[in-house]
Amino acid sequence: MSAATTSVKSAGRNYLIEFSLVLGLYAATAGGRPWLIAHAHNPSLALAATLAPIVPIWLMLAVVWRYYRHIDEYAQKRFLETLAISFGIGSCALVTYAFLTDAGLPPLALSWAWPTLAAAWLITTFVRRIADSR
Amino acid sequence: MKNTLPALRASRGMTQGDLADALNVSRQTVNAIETGRYDPSLPLAFAIARLFSSTIEDIFKPD
Repeated sequence: MSAATTSVKSAGRNYLIEFSLVLGLYAATAGGRPWLIAHAHNPSLALAATLAPIVPIWLMLAVVWRYYRHIDEYAQKRFLETLAISFGIGSCALVTYAFLTDAGLPPLALSWAWPTLAAAWLITTFVRRIADSR
Repeated sequence: MKNTLPALRASRGMTQGDLADALNVSRQTVNAIETGRYDPSLPLAFAIARLFSSTIEDIFKPD
């Protein structure tokens, strides 16, 4: 227990709201990037559009860290376990795909690493919740 | 680790949610402690003992 658990009950709700907002920002900047670059009137705007998804990526880290600081000790333990498992799965998936590209699969941009790890995290969290409810 | 938390809580007429609020943790955490899936940290164990005017040794027993 620590002072960080003062708003443990609202931590989940706040996290969901903040995470959704940042995810929406990421989708908007990443999805709208090609259009923005194509319609940018000068190179500075095109560069800003190119780099725009970086902002929500780092904001997401801040959101996750904020959530971690506001949950209780058991939730923190589970959070870290889930993160470790999903990082292992995500890393293995990425390396596996890297070798599969040598076997003929199309190469993917490095920017796919982040969504892959995020998807692994989401799936791991979901599977653990199902397992715990039994 | 075994514990007498469910009995202590019941004796006070508290739900898991009530206990969670009193300890400033989630209900899932209280449930995990009661069912032995999670051993609380020393600060949390002391908070539980203080809440029930008891000692850690009286509430928590080794398996």
